[in-house]
Amino acid sequence: MCNALGIINFPGSNVQIRGMEEYRPIGAFSFLGRFRLIDFPISSMTNSGIEDIHVHLKNRPRSIISHIGTGRHYNINSKRGGISILYGENKPESEFYNTDIASFKANFRQIDKCTKEYVVIAPSNMVFSIDFDEVLKEHIASGADVTIVYKSVDDAKSRFIDCDTVTLNKQKGILAIEKNRGNAKNKNISMEIYVLSKKLFMTLVDDALKISSLYWFRDIINEKCDELDIRGFQYKGFLAAITDLTSYYEANMELINHEVANELFNDEWPVYTRTSDSAPTRYYEEAEIKRSVISNGCDIAGHVENTVVGRGCVIGKDAVVTNAVLLPGCVIGEGVHVDNCVVDKEARIVTVKNVKGICGSPAYVRKGDKI
Amino acid sequence: MKQQNMLAMILAGGRGTRLEALTKKVAKPAVFFGGKYRIIDFPLSNCANSGIDVVGVLTQYESILLNSYVAGGNHWGLNTKDGGVFVLPPREKDDTEFGVYRGTADAITQNIDFIDGYNPDYVLILSGDHIYKMDYAKMLKHHQENDADCTIAVLPVPMEEASRFGIMNTDESDRIMEFEEKPKQPKSNLASMGIYIFNWKLLRKMLIEDDKKENSHHDFGKDIIPTLLADHKRLFAWRFEGYWKDVGTIDSLWEANMDLIYKSSELDLHDPQWKIYTEDKNVSPHCVGEDGEVKNSFINQGCFIDGKVEGSVLFTHVNIGKKAVVKDSVVFPNVQIGEGAVLNRVMVAEGVKIAPNAVVGDPNSEKIELIAKNVR
Repeated sequence: MCNALGIINFPGSNVQIRGMEEYRPIGAFSFLGRFRLIDFPISSMTNSGIEDIHVHLKNRPRSIISHIGTGRHYNINSKRGGISILYGENKPESEFYNTDIASFKANFRQIDKCTKEYVVIAPSNMVFSIDFDEVLKEHIASGADVTIVYKSVDDAKSRFIDCDTVTLNKQKGILAIEKNRGNAKNKNISMEIYVLSKKLFMTLVDDALKISSLYWFRDIINEKCDELDIRGFQYKGFLAAITDLTSYYEANMELINHEVANELFNDEWPVYTRTSDSAPTRYYEEAEIKRSVISNGCDIAGHVENTVVGRGCVIGKDAVVTNAVLLPGCVIGEGVHVDNCVVDKEARIVTVKNVKGICGSPAYVRKGDKI
Repeated sequence: MKQQNMLAMILAGGRGTRLEALTKKVAKPAVFFGGKYRIIDFPLSNCANSGIDVVGVLTQYESILLNSYVAGGNHWGLNTKDGGVFVLPPREKDDTEFGVYRGTADAITQNIDFIDGYNPDYVLILSGDHIYKMDYAKMLKHHQENDADCTIAVLPVPMEEASRFGIMNTDESDRIMEFEEKPKQPKSNLASMGIYIFNWKLLRKMLIEDDKKENSHHDFGKDIIPTLLADHKRLFAWRFEGYWKDVGTIDSLWEANMDLIYKSSELDLHDPQWKIYTEDKNVSPHCVGEDGEVKNSFINQGCFIDGKVEGSVLFTHVNIGKKAVVKDSVVFPNVQIGEGAVLNRVMVAEGVKIAPNAVVGDPNSEKIELIAKNVR
């Protein structure tokens, strides 16, 4: 059991995923065929013994509500604790006011009612696997006011653009939070995981509102870097931050490599998701598969290479699908060529024979489109 | 959904001796099938899809795994407020000595109190041994329309094979006039599928009477059905059309798995209208590596394939090393197949390790070989 309330946050305005975001919040994005992004923070929380989880949403809650349901599949004992979806329905005059601070404030009573002493805040647009209880233990032992989890990376020039970075002193004290502008190779990327006491958390939310209605939680933390003892906790596992279509595509591609996937998926620390009860995948005589991740419920008769295939996709004879991410329920017709693409849910590409992204950025096929 | 006042009882105590080592620690209904299922998923999913919400599972032989697997019923969505799946092993009672279920009918007799608790109009008796998709609600409708006392699901089989089955001889309205177990000269080709709907009041009375008979086998086929016929009760046959397979031997279990590849339209597991539900493992989708090759196969999540797979069914977490070849085989969960190993026409039991470069099975053999121990 972990003495903390888990809070799953929504991302700020630095995260924009062209196309896909119009249909669902980022947490509901299908990932690696059978998961949704929100499965990663929730699974890590329940594996860490966190019993109470709040999921904050700012828009289009349907897909998250149906995916999370009672939370049974995440191993949550609904009597001891539970998972709640906190959807503010606040229609601010401007999208700028739709901050995480506003959502926390709107749900203050829920947060206050929780009997746990600490809060663990985690984002819904990052893919990782972490023991939050270990972070909490270190947080308590260090006597810090706030602990932020970060990862040291050496590819910050091309990846994690616009993510928060933290500057640390030798004692792992955090001096400042800044945006990654891609100006240096080595950066400490903030995973936007914050551990702090519930009391301080609620004070910080109120403080933020006093300073500016446009403040996000990270802004108030940054503001308090001098005043409070804020420390870093280094995470060494797999991390992907989904901030745009390209990073979404690349994170999927990266995990096709079995060794990379083994860093994220561990039988002792499973990633839970809602099952759709699809049967195993059926391959036909003409199928040719290489370097791909394929979910259940598919019918495959074509050529698939370097691709992530979601649940229940159909790939016809003589179709060639390369370097693509197919979301669940796509149909790629006979003889169709698809390369360097993200194909959204239930799209059918049948008559157009060639769909290709340009070098560097994947093409996007909209949800349910017929091409 | 409010239940239609029919309760189902699944006979799941069978050992399935002809499945050799596969049933050493589990009863036959718990044996794996089709990449992610166990045999009992089929009757349980059929119940769920037919709108039945209370299911008793009668266990006897090696019931530990079956108990933990079906208890709760949430895999099949049967964990509704009023419904559920209940495991019913033999138990000690006040007025009798602790014993085993003496026969299929006795298993129900010993649980009359359980059924009475729900006070159903009808009881559906199923076996946990067969692979098929059936809408029991349709069968119940047939039962009600005929104003029957008992309805038995039958499968038309080729006449030359009829002597291997329990055969129902019927009149033109499909009323059953005679039942013959494995007749030498069959008069009909309607084979009993071991699926019965009874009016509970009548069955209850019959079971109590049968319990007192000294020379009874306490068996539905041998005792209850013949007595009902002798009493001129209204017994009707309900003809089933579709895929049905008794997977009682290694060969027939292998064959039924192959049917998912080569006769997938007969038992369509991709049909969203009639899904077969099962336990969900928390694993990622399967992954085909740089040197992987997959053809004519049925593959579940959690596998990693870097070798060649052809004409095979792979369960969860099967790992196939580089240059290994798996052909015309069924591989159960958590099997490791080393680099360069060659498998032909085999069934590999759960958790077995096959060492690199091992050669297992024979492409020309008639029988399917069961590999139940690690191969060096």
